[in-house]
Amino acid sequence: MTLYRLHHSTIYDYAEPVVLGTHFMHLLPRERPGQWIREAQLDISPAPDCRRDEIDHFGNCTTTVSLAGAHKQFSVVLSATAEVGLPAPPPAPETPRWEAIAAWGQQALEVAEFCLPSKLAMPAGEIADYAAVSFLPGRRILEGLLELNQRIFTEMSYKPGVSNNATTAMQILHTRAGVCQDYAHFMLACLRALGLPGRYVSGYLCTSPAPGQTRRRGADQSHAWVGAWAGPEIGWVDFDPTNNLLVSDEHVTLAWGRDFSDVSPLRGIILGGGRHSLHVGVDLEPVLT
Amino acid sequence: MQLMTPCDETADRQGRMHRPWGPVMGAVREIGNEELARRATALNRQMGLAAPLGAPAARIYDPLPALLTAAEFAVLEDCIKQRANLLSLALEDIYGAQNLMRSGQLPPALVFAAPHFLRPLHTRGPLATQRLGLYAADVIRAPDGRFLLLRDHTGVVPGLGDALSLRRLATGTLPELFRAGGLRSIRPAREMLVDHLQREAEGGLVAVLSGGLAQARESEDGFDDALLARALGVMLIEPGDLAARNGALHIKTLSGLLHVATLVRGVSGLDLDPLEQGGRPGAGIPGAFGAIRAGVLSILNAPGSKLLESSALRPYIQQLFAPLLGEPEKLPLADAGSEHLASQAPFLGPDQEIIKAPLCLRLFAWHDGREWQVLPGGLGLPLAVGGKPPSLGIKDLWVLDSEEPRMIAGVPPAEPPEHVKFLAAAHLPSRLADNLFWLGRSVERLEAAARLLMLALPRLESGTSLPRDIAERTLISRCLGQAGLLPPDVAGFAISGRLLRQTLAQRRPVDKLLQEVARLVDASSERLSPSMLATVRFALQQAREALPNEEAALPAMLSFAATFAGIAAENMSRDGGWLFLEMGRRLERGETLAETLAILLNGPVGRLEPGMALGIEIADSVLSYELRHAGIFAPGPVLAMLLADLSNPRALAFQCHALRACLERLGADDDAETARQLHQEVTNLAGGGIALNTALGGIAAKLRQLSDRVQRRFFTLLPEAHTLEEGEILEAAQ
Repeated sequence: MTLYRLHHSTIYDYAEPVVLGTHFMHLLPRERPGQWIREAQLDISPAPDCRRDEIDHFGNCTTTVSLAGAHKQFSVVLSATAEVGLPAPPPAPETPRWEAIAAWGQQALEVAEFCLPSKLAMPAGEIADYAAVSFLPGRRILEGLLELNQRIFTEMSYKPGVSNNATTAMQILHTRAGVCQDYAHFMLACLRALGLPGRYVSGYLCTSPAPGQTRRRGADQSHAWVGAWAGPEIGWVDFDPTNNLLVSDEHVTLAWGRDFSDVSPLRGIILGGGRHSLHVGVDLEPVLT
Repeated sequence: MQLMTPCDETADRQGRMHRPWGPVMGAVREIGNEELARRATALNRQMGLAAPLGAPAARIYDPLPALLTAAEFAVLEDCIKQRANLLSLALEDIYGAQNLMRSGQLPPALVFAAPHFLRPLHTRGPLATQRLGLYAADVIRAPDGRFLLLRDHTGVVPGLGDALSLRRLATGTLPELFRAGGLRSIRPAREMLVDHLQREAEGGLVAVLSGGLAQARESEDGFDDALLARALGVMLIEPGDLAARNGALHIKTLSGLLHVATLVRGVSGLDLDPLEQGGRPGAGIPGAFGAIRAGVLSILNAPGSKLLESSALRPYIQQLFAPLLGEPEKLPLADAGSEHLASQAPFLGPDQEIIKAPLCLRLFAWHDGREWQVLPGGLGLPLAVGGKPPSLGIKDLWVLDSEEPRMIAGVPPAEPPEHVKFLAAAHLPSRLADNLFWLGRSVERLEAAARLLMLALPRLESGTSLPRDIAERTLISRCLGQAGLLPPDVAGFAISGRLLRQTLAQRRPVDKLLQEVARLVDASSERLSPSMLATVRFALQQAREALPNEEAALPAMLSFAATFAGIAAENMSRDGGWLFLEMGRRLERGETLAETLAILLNGPVGRLEPGMALGIEIADSVLSYELRHAGIFAPGPVLAMLLADLSNPRALAFQCHALRACLERLGADDDAETARQLHQEVTNLAGGGIALNTALGGIAAKLRQLSDRVQRRFFTLLPEAHTLEEGEILEAAQ
């Protein structure tokens, strides 16, 4: 178990006043087995006329605000303390065969929709061929997942600026480059091509490298990775293909969905504003207890 | 296999006329096919007039009704209530506790894969009103006489506008048929529905939400939305009219922002909320889903309810009667492709003959907060058999009276519905006021252009090189330039008629003006009466047909403008909509007149004669001037007639006075005061002794400022919406 203090600020500066703004956010972290939120608050400035904190279809925390007064700056600051330590999965050879997972996945309410294609993580024949290499008939689910996670890490190159929010798994298959969001979408499309449940997890990755280790990609930034379902007993196991990691206690989960578009951290519709500039700051520090 | 032959709606098994059809078919025989066809044409025309943009070409109505006896309706009513109950329970579960999916009664993968399963509407508790509020069922009568369900309508419910309007118009065009048999009135039911909607809205606005009306012309849905809004007596609005403020939806109207509490949905739920669903901001209503979840907005039906129409889910839903209602299904499903077994009903064919074709009945139901109510009426639809779309019309569905008249069960309205107030002038949406204002301006602009060109062409043609004629031609050319009918590089020279003709042929300014008028007529159509619209459109059509030769078309333009002005004066009530049309026209006329006179009356008093003569002619005041002043031009009388004469509808003072009256009616006291001051200035000007052209230029400028202020005060001047969204990896991170 590791205790983290999290600080995430998002500030928009507009060239012209915004006369009406409505924003929909996935910025308050959710709880999950292995993650407890001790405290979390979202400070919004200017003070909204209306704010609603809700739980969405996936169980994520959402916040909707509307700002009717003219403003030239909009800021959202998350401060949270979270305790994290995802349960370790059993040894890979003891996990179920992947075909069994695919069959179960279709039936179970909490899992079924993560087997289905989504816009940004849409399986296709070529993606299925890529994935099938790691999932030969009869292979244990966790073995396949670990290998796929590692192959994506090795065969893709981390390149900011070559992709955007609309980049699909199929495009990534061809470019083999992108950022964590793209790594995650590609791995999800691989899983779904085989009928395996996979979900897109957004969150943060701890910044401080262990002595002698390199700094992790995505550190001090919003991060994204993949949750894969390993049957009713083991449940969800998270993989970070950007860093070739099995997620345990370095990642703080914010929200999950079928792909990025379900958990977009901050989407807004504004009237006015002209050009805008954006400043984002993320701090995730372990608290020594 | 006798039973597999479709039955005849009008005959019993033995082939004898089914008793209820006797009087109807008797009346039809008396009318005769030829006359029936004429009545059908009249009915179709009237239906077209009932909606602002007219009926789409593909939509036709049949003069013959479809019939249900009281006993048959009672059976169907029971079936439909049961089905609506079941669908409602299933929908609430799918978007709530999801027990049906958890238990496997509905396969989760099917529900989750359906595009109409809208995750943002999955909530822990129920919404403020139940998700399924309106329902329609398409049923057929099988060869054995039983009714079978062909399809459900649970999302946008199509045809309710038709069902509520068709009866009213058919009674007028086919009175003989209605004399033939006693039938249940749909009016009490409609009033109950209206009353229910208004009561639920608790003082908020009820409206029909339609996809952009500009595109509605060719769309059957847009037509139905417009009919429905009129039948329910509520506002017809589009997504762009609405904005979320304080978490609730509001519409900008002349009396400020009004809270919209209930929407009857005519648009798909798929792109309804761009904030939560992504998509183009202008295409939907950002914040609509949040408002629904918070209970400050009800939509009939809730977005996502179309899910129940999924053919993949249908067999599973059919298995839910016993588990959810504890009773067997009352209305069996028709097998796929069994349309050809539907009963045959008489239709009026394209060649004025009565033909028999398969019939489907559409019945409508709504939930009144306690139970489902079924409309004792509906539609009879010709069924497409063998993939060929039927060229037959839509029928009114009659429910015949039982022996003893019976009241429709349900809550009687406690007091007269208050919906009428929502259509009052003050609730005119700003978008419409804006369109009407510009319609007034553009019609006036068209008229002014036509009038100026009609005066200019013969004079430029026949001019001599006498100094007076050259001066006149120069003045005309400058006026043409001012009106945008000549490019600036030639305006101001004494040009020839040939050059003006060439310019008209190349630049087609009249055509452009006419197109703008046509666009604005469409955009304002929901506040123009059907007869006014029909007349205006007819006149527009004639003007358009004359257009290929712009010069020859000028009289048609003037005739259009006169028709428009006349019908606006005689047919529009003097409330919100008319006030904006009038202000647009008066501002345009005032500005144009001031600018034109500033050109014509520029110069020393001794040399004003040609300008004065032109001014009197442009202002269409030749006859009045002749009668009063024997045609002798002198500055005093000319200025009095063009500027100060309040009895001359083309005088500048008249425009200022009319503007003031409109602004006072709208409570814009400061702007009304500006109009009063302008009126004073104009009157003073007529007294002479002031440099006319500067003063008139100043008045034109003040009228333009007043126009700007009117726009700022009353119309939507919101900048365009756009989306902000960043990816997980933020380049700006540091």
